[in-house]
Amino acid sequence: MSGIGPLTVRELKKWYRNPVFFVTGLLQPFFWIALFGSAFDITKFFPQASELVLGGAPNYITYIVGGVLTISGLFTAMFAGTNIIFDRRLGPMGRFLSSPIRRSSIVFSKVFSSVIRILPQILILIAAAIIIPNGLKFANGFTVPDALVLLTAIILISLIFSSIFSAIAIRMTNMNSIFGIVNLVNLPLLFVSYAMFSSEMMAGWLADIAKYNPVSWSAESIRMVIINGSNMTMSQWGQIGEWLGGLAVLAVSLTLLTAYLAEKEIRD
Amino acid sequence: MPGNIIETKDLTKIYKGNIRAVDSLNIQIKEGEVYGLLGPNGAGKRTTINMLITRISPTSGTASVDGFDIVKESLQVRKTIGVVPQDLTADEDLTGRENLVMVSQFYDVPKPTAEDRIRQLLKLVDLEDAADRYVNTYSGGMRKRLELILGLVHDPKILFLDEPTLGLDIQTRTQMWDYVREIQERLNVTIILTSHYLEEIDALADMVSIIDHGKVLITGTPEELKESLKGDIITITLKDEANVEVMKKVPNVVEVTEHGPNTLRIKVVNADESLPDIINYISKNGLSTNKLTVQKPTLDEVFLEYTGRNIRSEEPADARKMMMNMRRMRR
Repeated sequence: MSGIGPLTVRELKKWYRNPVFFVTGLLQPFFWIALFGSAFDITKFFPQASELVLGGAPNYITYIVGGVLTISGLFTAMFAGTNIIFDRRLGPMGRFLSSPIRRSSIVFSKVFSSVIRILPQILILIAAAIIIPNGLKFANGFTVPDALVLLTAIILISLIFSSIFSAIAIRMTNMNSIFGIVNLVNLPLLFVSYAMFSSEMMAGWLADIAKYNPVSWSAESIRMVIINGSNMTMSQWGQIGEWLGGLAVLAVSLTLLTAYLAEKEIRD
Repeated sequence: MPGNIIETKDLTKIYKGNIRAVDSLNIQIKEGEVYGLLGPNGAGKRTTINMLITRISPTSGTASVDGFDIVKESLQVRKTIGVVPQDLTADEDLTGRENLVMVSQFYDVPKPTAEDRIRQLLKLVDLEDAADRYVNTYSGGMRKRLELILGLVHDPKILFLDEPTLGLDIQTRTQMWDYVREIQERLNVTIILTSHYLEEIDALADMVSIIDHGKVLITGTPEELKESLKGDIITITLKDEANVEVMKKVPNVVEVTEHGPNTLRIKVVNADESLPDIINYISKNGLSTNKLTVQKPTLDEVFLEYTGRNIRSEEPADARKMMMNMRRMRR
């Protein structure tokens, strides 16, 4: 009697039936890879330093795919909480709360549906990156374990941030507050990370903070498997294990915290 | 004789600032009846309902719903009851049927059973044709009907109806009453009804409790309550000067008061029986009447008598949600 199934199905129906919501969600990764890939292409500014800043990637698009994938997951996840507020303001919350379902299933249906919504975005983004001129190149191939790393990193990122933003929305009634918080943290999370630039390109203090940003861990993991493909060394796998391990610990603890808060605090 | 399906024992809810929303409330609701809770705003109706449906927990006291304790066995309680809240709760982006199916899944109703029951319920409230349309295309009355059956998909023993016709026009309202009656007869559920409309309680409830300041002031059938006022009112305007003392001699007259020029307000036990006597008396004494009205007691007067307030001047409880509902109804 968890309610998580029917509630997640509901969220997904609302997504794929709304053409604007659906299409914009799918177009967004395309814009991102094309725009970010050109606008921030650091090799244009410093052609002679491209070896250093690209860390072995054949071009900038290949370098930032991991970052854009992560950011795409992050931005979708940050809006997971808004539907909790809509449900409260428009009435369905009252129905959920008087049903014998777990309170946390109301919140986790938003978390899981936003994780699911990210999956087609991943495919489109990678396809777009390959199609565009001077785009994504798998110079050393791309293996199944590489694909699993990519998927795991994005799923963990979306779990982490959709949990955080759902937890924030548990007691909130005003939509503007959550938009405010999203706007406050989205660009810092993006730019204080290795999503777009390597640590060598950053001011020292910024690079030091970025080291602890989970966005960096995900972006770097994906970047590493994309650049090295089938030539991954044991020490590189070890590094990826550390990053993904960190993400997993964060995801699990935030999920537990959100579950606890939802059971205890959610109300109409 | 059926037993009590709901019983509260000194049920109390104290909000922050020592506000006693519900104060040692004791009510008994019998299985199969329609029980009306009537009271001005802030009387504690909604808090009482919210405790019984386990949305909030009491500060002290207990209550049992179908034998389950509302605090210790809240999950059990939630499975037994159906709730039709004051606000609209259906998801506008889904169809009526999808909403019903989703709610049936909350209660783990097996799929074939749920499909059958949903078909029956849609038929009961004449929503079969609209079942597969998105809820945002429904009229206000249709939405309310959908809400009504959303509370019934899992075959509950008890249905809580919180202001089921708030914001509806009179025609739609009386139509809703027919549906509620039909539900009660056909599905054999106990219904707990709160309402702002006295005529709604009068039309639907078998038993009524008037509550104010979190306490029950009086309980009884609507008829008993009306009778407790002891009498009907006959107002007579005579052509000549009226004589209060003379009129008191008519049998069964309880009270006579002067009510304006040449006008008497006569309280009698039963107007149907006393009217011929009064008219006889008037003609025997050579008086003639200009105007004569008979007023049977209504729940309005009962309410006024017991709470000292007129329910018409009351504003709905949650203005924000109310406005939002009204807005959606008008579409």
